[in-house]
Amino acid sequence: MSVTARDAHRAVDAVWKLESAKIIAALTRIVREVGLAEELAQDALVAALEQWPGQGVPDNPAAWLMTAAKRRAIDHLRRNERLERRQEQLARELEQDSDAGETEAGDDVLRLMFVSCHPVLPTEERVAMTLRLLGGLTAKEIARAFLVSEQTVVQRVARAKQTLADAAIPFELPPGAELADRLASVLEVVYLIFNEGYSATSGDDLIRPTLCLEALRLGRLLAELAPAEPEVHGLVALMEIQASRTAARTGPSGEPLRLHEQNRGRWDPLLIRRGMAALLRAREHPRPPGPYVLQAAIAVTHARARTAEETDWPQIAALYDALVQVLPTPVVRLNRAVAVGKVHGPEAALAVVDELTGDPALKDYHLLPSVRADLLAQLDRPAEARTEFERAASLARNTAERTFLLNRAAALPASPPDPGVTLAEAAEAFLARDDLTPATRRSYTQTLHRLTRALGARTPLESLTPDHVARTFTTVWPDASPKTWNRHRAALRSFSTWAAAPPRAWPKTDLASSLPRHHESRAPRRPLHPDEFARLLSRPDVSPRERALWSLLYESSTTIAEALALDIEDLDPHTRTAPGLNRDSDTADLLLSLVAPRTRGPVFLSDRRPAPSRTPSAADLCPETGRRRLSYERAEYIFKQKTKHLDPSGHGYTLHQLRHARPR
Amino acid sequence: MRYLMTTKGGSEADEKLFAEMGAFVEEMTKAGILLATGGLEPRGLVMTSEGDDITVTDGPFLEAKDVVGGFALVEVRSKEEALEVARRFRKIVGDGESQIWQVFG
Repeated sequence: MSVTARDAHRAVDAVWKLESAKIIAALTRIVREVGLAEELAQDALVAALEQWPGQGVPDNPAAWLMTAAKRRAIDHLRRNERLERRQEQLARELEQDSDAGETEAGDDVLRLMFVSCHPVLPTEERVAMTLRLLGGLTAKEIARAFLVSEQTVVQRVARAKQTLADAAIPFELPPGAELADRLASVLEVVYLIFNEGYSATSGDDLIRPTLCLEALRLGRLLAELAPAEPEVHGLVALMEIQASRTAARTGPSGEPLRLHEQNRGRWDPLLIRRGMAALLRAREHPRPPGPYVLQAAIAVTHARARTAEETDWPQIAALYDALVQVLPTPVVRLNRAVAVGKVHGPEAALAVVDELTGDPALKDYHLLPSVRADLLAQLDRPAEARTEFERAASLARNTAERTFLLNRAAALPASPPDPGVTLAEAAEAFLARDDLTPATRRSYTQTLHRLTRALGARTPLESLTPDHVARTFTTVWPDASPKTWNRHRAALRSFSTWAAAPPRAWPKTDLASSLPRHHESRAPRRPLHPDEFARLLSRPDVSPRERALWSLLYESSTTIAEALALDIEDLDPHTRTAPGLNRDSDTADLLLSLVAPRTRGPVFLSDRRPAPSRTPSAADLCPETGRRRLSYERAEYIFKQKTKHLDPSGHGYTLHQLRHARPR
Repeated sequence: MRYLMTTKGGSEADEKLFAEMGAFVEEMTKAGILLATGGLEPRGLVMTSEGDDITVTDGPFLEAKDVVGGFALVEVRSKEEALEVARRFRKIVGDGESQIWQVFG
């Protein structure tokens, strides 16, 4: 590529990023489908990339792209021979395309934001769609910013488009009742993009400026499009103030600097002013402040203090008290503890923090031990502080932060001489025993490594108490099945017994003594009664497919896998009966009416067509309807749902239980 | 990245230019690109220092009546984006010149 061609490509890219949201929004209005609109807009972009290097950049490149994209949309409609009158109207609009309808164009962009952040999509797909449609980023750029492969991003976008099309999400602003929730979803996506850029959760760079810039621009845009929503201004204010500290928040070697260590002269006064202005706009609306407005108010209070000592901590603590009411997340509670510490001293703060140590949501959150360590250091308990800093370092995923935490640990006086063997040392010695089978060692390793991470590798074994260990168990494995729980418990008991045995005699107590054994329920449940099954089959909300499948499993000795694998070709060509089934049975009739009028393909089909990205093999696809073979999981799920009310335990019955329900 | 753009020259400011410029500024603000903007007085002051001597003189512009000055601080993704923004600006103001500097720090 020549230098000028490369320049032209860059020029196209710059114009595209400025205009893509408007273009895709305008096209969605025409074709009514976001995925299609984006593809047509991309076609226009490709045309620009082909033509501009040779013919030169047109006089008004933005208008050129918009016109080219709209032409493609109208061609598309024409090809599909539909909406003829609409098409004429659009063609007319295109002729006299002018500045008219600026507000409408803005509303279209807002609609586009609501669609790409629709709650029907998983979060990572919302993020990918938003950066792609509103920010005009390529899959490659998104992939680089999030440290995932380009292929992953391409798939996320493809899946999202398919989901939106399948769910027929309208290109409309959400109605009043839904607006608050839908707006919250948009704000969440924008803030998530900002945070990924601001405090990159992994990797070596503490700040990925691209993502911060994209989020700020999305937020500023949103504030102009939805000016009556205080939370939007709150989010913008929060991001502007946080971004104002970008230059100050890392030290010379890239290490993070805490707020009170930052050189406030390097805070960007322009962004602070913008943040304060945004917060004032938020407060023009007489509504109780929401989570973003409160967080912005906290950020502004910090920004007002010319030195760390001048910080208005009582004000900040009061704002956190309000924030905890509307956003009672563990992270907010942890931050509130820090503010409490500033107002009421480290002892009071430590009490608040210790309430949080049992919260499973925070078990891998490095700032919890980090805050605890800070408070312990202030309380002149350096040995404990050191252990907590080390634990925080082992949980931090970002290299710069990990180094910073290890340095803080190293700066504290070492633990008192000879605290005895540490947890990590004892665990490694235990796992190095030569009388463990490989499977046992693997299992024990899993348990002990996870515990070591949670309790701190350098924690002296001597200092551990059974209660502490028990609390950690419930934090680390809150949802473990009884079987898994008991496996971890058994591993700890074995370790504890070994460690307490001579010649070691390390711990004084059995560390597992406060751990209850969980009851592994294997008691046979009440079986499904034949009368109940008969009633179930006659229920009007049971589909013919379920009726046929369940009868087949109940009546014949066919296994579940065999039943689901049945093809129409497997049925008896004359009687349409499944192998091993009595021709005169009700089940045979049910099967017969289920498959008619199809002649080939799977007998049991799923309700929907598969997404293009998940095309199953030809053998699992019905050649006539395009639907896929019913999966085991889905069949099982439906049966459980329909039998929930019959099962005293409330879980519903499995298909396996159905097979064994019939008296034989 | 940020760029500072300053501008000299352009057609006589009439109502049409004001309207177009207003719409452009609004659009750029809306898009989150324009952080700050303002007009500059036609004649500035120049301060020079030489040894211990500091001299203040009137601005360097010779034909003051033709000069319309202004500045804009923009936040953009790339140099190309800055150029595109400046290009749109120049199309509105007419003949003249803009200077574009990346701002560090």
